[in-house]
Amino acid sequence: MKKKLFFIFVLIAIQFNAQNNWVSGNFISNSQYYLDDNKTGDFGENDRFRSNNYLKLDANLNRFSLEIQVESYAPQSLLNFSSNFDKEIGFATYYANYKSDKLDATIGYFYEQFGNGLVLRSYEDKQLGVNNALRGSKLVYTPVNYVQITGLYGKHRVGFNVSDGDILGFDTEFNLTDALKVEKSYVNLGFSIVSRSQEIENSEKGFQKNTIAYSGRINYSKNNFYSSVEYVLKEKDAIVEFGFVNTQKLAKGNAFLLNTGYSKKGFSIDVTFRRLENMSFYSDRNVEGNLDNEQLVNYLPSLTKQHYYSLANIYIYQTQSRLTFTPFKKAGEIGSQIDVFYNVKKGTFLGGKYGTQLALNYATWYGLDAEFDTENRTFNAGFTNFGVKYFTEFNIEVLKKWSKKWYSNFTFINLYYNKKYIEETSGKVDATIAITEVTYKFTPKKSVRMEVQHLWTDDDKKDWVAGTLEMNFSSKVSLFAADLYNYGNELKKIHYYNFGGSFTKNSTRVSLSYGRQRGGLLCVGGICRIVPESTGFGLSINTSF
Amino acid sequence: MNKIILFCFFMIATFNQIQAQKILPQISLKNMNGKLIDISKIETNNVTVFNFWATWCVPCIKELEEINEIYSEWKDETNVKIIAVSVDDARTVSRVKAMVNGKEWPYEILFDTNQELKRALNVTTIPYLIIVKNNKIVYTHSGYTYGSEIELYEKIKQFSN
Repeated sequence: MKKKLFFIFVLIAIQFNAQNNWVSGNFISNSQYYLDDNKTGDFGENDRFRSNNYLKLDANLNRFSLEIQVESYAPQSLLNFSSNFDKEIGFATYYANYKSDKLDATIGYFYEQFGNGLVLRSYEDKQLGVNNALRGSKLVYTPVNYVQITGLYGKHRVGFNVSDGDILGFDTEFNLTDALKVEKSYVNLGFSIVSRSQEIENSEKGFQKNTIAYSGRINYSKNNFYSSVEYVLKEKDAIVEFGFVNTQKLAKGNAFLLNTGYSKKGFSIDVTFRRLENMSFYSDRNVEGNLDNEQLVNYLPSLTKQHYYSLANIYIYQTQSRLTFTPFKKAGEIGSQIDVFYNVKKGTFLGGKYGTQLALNYATWYGLDAEFDTENRTFNAGFTNFGVKYFTEFNIEVLKKWSKKWYSNFTFINLYYNKKYIEETSGKVDATIAITEVTYKFTPKKSVRMEVQHLWTDDDKKDWVAGTLEMNFSSKVSLFAADLYNYGNELKKIHYYNFGGSFTKNSTRVSLSYGRQRGGLLCVGGICRIVPESTGFGLSINTSF
Repeated sequence: MNKIILFCFFMIATFNQIQAQKILPQISLKNMNGKLIDISKIETNNVTVFNFWATWCVPCIKELEEINEIYSEWKDETNVKIIAVSVDDARTVSRVKAMVNGKEWPYEILFDTNQELKRALNVTTIPYLIIVKNNKIVYTHSGYTYGSEIELYEKIKQFSN
């Protein structure tokens, strides 16, 4: 039965692809076949074959559009995806929309972000299993091109159901310089209000079921200089600990974000400063801190560099936004990130024939220095006080094209990772990572990419070495072999190998791989999913039509 | 179960009656100057390429770097316009302007911070590009390896005539 459904899906996709002026859409399928492994253990769950499938169909007629997304988790979703994705096939999201020059109205499931996402963001990331679309209605009104007003109401999607809590949101943006017809600079003002409403059984007398967050923001730029700031205030709400909503103990929250920089051709510097105090915000108070990233009202990504290379993705910082008293006293985080880009010109000594590109990044994050009163569940945190050091990373990347055939990328990273506070266990990690990547073009369309990485540390799992070889035969066919070897780990000295290939034609991509996957965090955009250690085959299909 | 299959076929039959033109959707995104640009109103009498990328996507950056070397030649011959749509979200969006200027890219940049355009155009993985001519989407392509830009230019020339 399940195989039949999968087949029907593929048939529908092919049919629409062939007669491509009816509807548009896409089809994504990620499947795994899990195997027993003599080094890491047997696969103890039922259903060795797991599959996540998504079919989205869109139809447009003048100003109206319809969309439907069907999802299939057959026989079960991939390991460690939320247990709420529990249907073999079901309608996941759908909407009807009307758009004119001034009005944009949606009924059904919708996505939206206010400002920087500190008060509201609903979005989808299939790889992470995140989909906090809101089901309800949204209206965006643009009376003149420099004013935009948004109003929305909805309940978060939870698997194939919706949340217990209600979200009501209002946002407005005003482009001041456009309104005053000022040309040389840009000033934009924004204001949002987001309210989450949820009844709590047996709550304390006088407990407010609504929690409202207010946000104000200003964006400014002139010539090569820019600066933007956003400030959020969240009303006092129940403190949630280990799934228990304590309506007797309440705490307020706030956030401050400042981004500024100078940018001109060949040189840029960007600085971000952020402070978060008790800013976790969920639709359903009972699921606060859940590992599936479900029912999040806002978006608080970790502001560190997102690395491409495998060894650089072992010690990843995760935003510490929650208020907790046990096992650790935490109230939020404070820190900054700096990025510098520099283009060494062609013809200079360091630049060479084609130029050299440098990218530097430095990020540092601390807990809030606060006085915690565990008995009464209160805390007091100074605004600029830096507490426990959570994470620091310095990295430099040098990109160079040597000739028409040779390219290289050299990356150096030095990091400090406070494992005790970030993972709530014990220990810390000081590590240094060096990565060299070289690409050689045999012919204009055929190339090989080679990568060598090494991680040095006296802590945690000790040293690692890794390598990748990727052969691109044409723009359509590619094969790769990769390995991560934790040779410094006396307790578990094993290889995490991976082999595979992909075939791409126009907007269809099919890839197949086999290997042993390291357990850890898979992070996209600062939101992470815990990926378990596993061995097996993977098949991925992506197509648009 | 059968109800769902029946519903799917009903939807297919309904969609049959609706002429779905593959045109650009009416979505507005901000450019580097903070101005809202309506995608459906962008002038596409000449071949226009929408290239979806992100600051953390290494193949995307390789593609835009390679095209940068020959972009002025492409423009001279075909009047092609490349619009690089960044799908960086709030985590990495502050790096976009810095990277574009640091690398001296000449492309028009649009910010698709909540992936609204990416979803509307059914972009599944990046890098991804679409070629538009006279408001119609004529070609789409997923992925990048060195040399893909040669094939891209062949398509641009083909649709320029």
